[in-house]
Amino acid sequence: MSARSSDWLPRRRPSGRKALLATLMLLVAVASAFPLVWMVLSSLKTPAESMQVPPVWIPGTPSLDAYEKVSGVVNVGRSMWNSLVIASITTAGILLTSMMAGYAFAKYHFPAKSLLFSLLIATMFLPPIVTLIPLYRLVGSIGLNASLAGIIVPNLANAFGIFLMRQFISGVPDDLIDAARMDGASELLILFKIVAPSVAPAIAALALFAFVYHWNSYLWPLTVLQGNADAYPIVISLSRLLSYNRGAVNTGLVMAGATLAVLPPLLLFVFLQRFFVDSIVGSAIKG
Amino acid sequence: MINRYRASAGIMLAPAVTLIGVFVLLPMLLTVWLSFQDWSTQTPFSNASFIGLDNFYEIFGPTSVGRDFKGALANTAIYTALSVIFILPLSVVFGLMVYQRDVAGGTALRTVLFATYMVPMIAVALVWSKLYSPSEGPLNQMLGLVGIGPQPFLSSPRSALISIVFLNVWQQVGYFTVLAIAGLTQIPGSLYEAAKLDGANRREQFRFITLPLLRRTLLFSAVIAIINAVQVFEPVALITQGGPVGSTNVLTYHIRRVGIERAQGGLGSAMAVMLMLSLIVVICALFAFANRKNDE
Repeated sequence: MSARSSDWLPRRRPSGRKALLATLMLLVAVASAFPLVWMVLSSLKTPAESMQVPPVWIPGTPSLDAYEKVSGVVNVGRSMWNSLVIASITTAGILLTSMMAGYAFAKYHFPAKSLLFSLLIATMFLPPIVTLIPLYRLVGSIGLNASLAGIIVPNLANAFGIFLMRQFISGVPDDLIDAARMDGASELLILFKIVAPSVAPAIAALALFAFVYHWNSYLWPLTVLQGNADAYPIVISLSRLLSYNRGAVNTGLVMAGATLAVLPPLLLFVFLQRFFVDSIVGSAIKG
Repeated sequence: MINRYRASAGIMLAPAVTLIGVFVLLPMLLTVWLSFQDWSTQTPFSNASFIGLDNFYEIFGPTSVGRDFKGALANTAIYTALSVIFILPLSVVFGLMVYQRDVAGGTALRTVLFATYMVPMIAVALVWSKLYSPSEGPLNQMLGLVGIGPQPFLSSPRSALISIVFLNVWQQVGYFTVLAIAGLTQIPGSLYEAAKLDGANRREQFRFITLPLLRRTLLFSAVIAIINAVQVFEPVALITQGGPVGSTNVLTYHIRRVGIERAQGGLGSAMAVMLMLSLIVVICALFAFANRKNDE
C-alpha cells in the first residue's frame, strides 16, 4: 500500500516528519483519553481533595468512599439490573426481528419489496424526538407506561438492524439455502442453522451496538417512566447525583457514579472492538 | 413454490414490520396529524380538535411561544452546523493519522478515539460539567498554565452552546474517524503511485486524490452528524436546562418540555414537524451541493 496519509503535513526531512506526526498522534490520544482518566481519578479522591484549588490531579490516598456514597443516594444494584434487563431483552428482540426481516429482503422476491425496504430504512434517519409525543401517549394507552416493558417493547425492531442483516445475508450463497430446502428444512430452520452461522460476525456486531445503544439510552426511558424510580436504568439514576448536594463537594460522588455507568459498555468495547469497527466499515462501504 | 416463499416472506417480515409500523411510522403520521390539532398530551387522541394552521402561526408568532421556538430552532441550527464543521475535518485528519504506516500506533489511537463513543451521553455530561467548572475545574487550570484567563464555559450565554458543541465533538469524533478510515481504504494505492510519477507532492496528492475520493464518505458522515446533532438532549437537560437565558435551549429539549412536561401536544407536534421539514431541506440541499460538485 502506498496510500500515504501524512500528506497534509508540511514537507520536511523524513525523520522530522515522523517525529512531528508521532507527537500530534500522542496529543490527540491524550486529549481524547483525558476526560475519562480524570473521571476515574476524581472518583478516587477524598472530598477535601476534590475541593482543592489548584486541583489535585492524582489522589494522594485513593479511596472508594465515593462509590459507597453513590449507593446511599441512588439504588445502584437495582438500576444496574434494570439497565441489564432493558439492554439484553431489547438486543435479543432486535437480533431476532432483524435477522428474519433481513433474510426476507436478501433472499425472497415479493411485491413492493424495494418500496417497503425504503420505507423501513427511512425511519433510520428519523430523530426520536419527532415521534416522542404521540409515542408517549400510544404506549400509555396500551398500559405500558412507567414500566420496563414500556421502555423495551417499542425498540424491539429497528431499521439499522434490518439494513445490516440484509447486507450480510445477501452474501450467503443461494446454493447453500437451496440445498437445505431440498432436504426439506423449514425456512426458520434454514435461517437459524445455516444462514445465521455464516453471518455470525455481523450478528455479534449488531448485538454489541444494540446493547450499548440501549444501555446508554436516556430520552425515551426518562419520558416513559415518568418518575417511577423502581424502574430507573443506571443512566437516569445517575442524573440525580448532580442535583444532590450541588457544589464541588459532590465531584467525587458524581465521578464514581459516571464510572459505574461507563464501565459495562466500555469493557464490552475493549474486548470486542473488532466487531464494532468491522460493522461500521461494512455498513458504510456497502451502503 | 413461489407461493410458499411468499407466505414465508410474510412470516419473516411480520414482526419487524409490525413493530416499526406501530411504534415509528404510526407515531410519525400522528405527529403530522396532531400538528393541526388542539390537543393536550394528557388526553386521548380522540379529544383532539382541528384548528388548521394555528399551531404553526403560534410557534412562529410574536408571543413567548414563538420566541422560545424560534430561539430553539436557531440554537439547534448553530449547534448542528458547528458540530459538523468541527467533526468532519477532524475525522479526516484523525483518520489519516490512524491509516498512515509511517509511525506506529495508529490502531491504538483508533481504539482511544472510538472508546469515547461508547460512553453514555449522561456520563459525558456529568464529567464535562465538572471539567468546565469555573474555579476548580481542570480546563481553566490548564488554560491558566498557557496564560489564558478563566473562561465561563457553561455559565455564560455567549459560551454555553459552543461548550456543549465541544463536548459533543469529543464524544462523537471517533465514530466519524472510523467512517473516514473506511473511505480511505477504498482509495486505490495505484492512484498515489501514478501521481508520484507525475511529480505531485504530498499536499497535491491530498488535494487531488484523497479529498475528492472521500466525498461520498464525507457526505454520508455529514448526514449522520446532522441527525445526531439535532438529538442533543442530556447535557442540556442535566446541566443547563436550556439556559443561561435560553442560549442552550435546543429543539429536542424544547419539544419535550412543551409536548410532554407542559402537555401541549399539538404545539409540540407542530414543532416536531418543523424539525422534520428542516432536516429534509438541509439533507436535500447537501445532496444537491455534493452532486453539483460531481458535475464540475
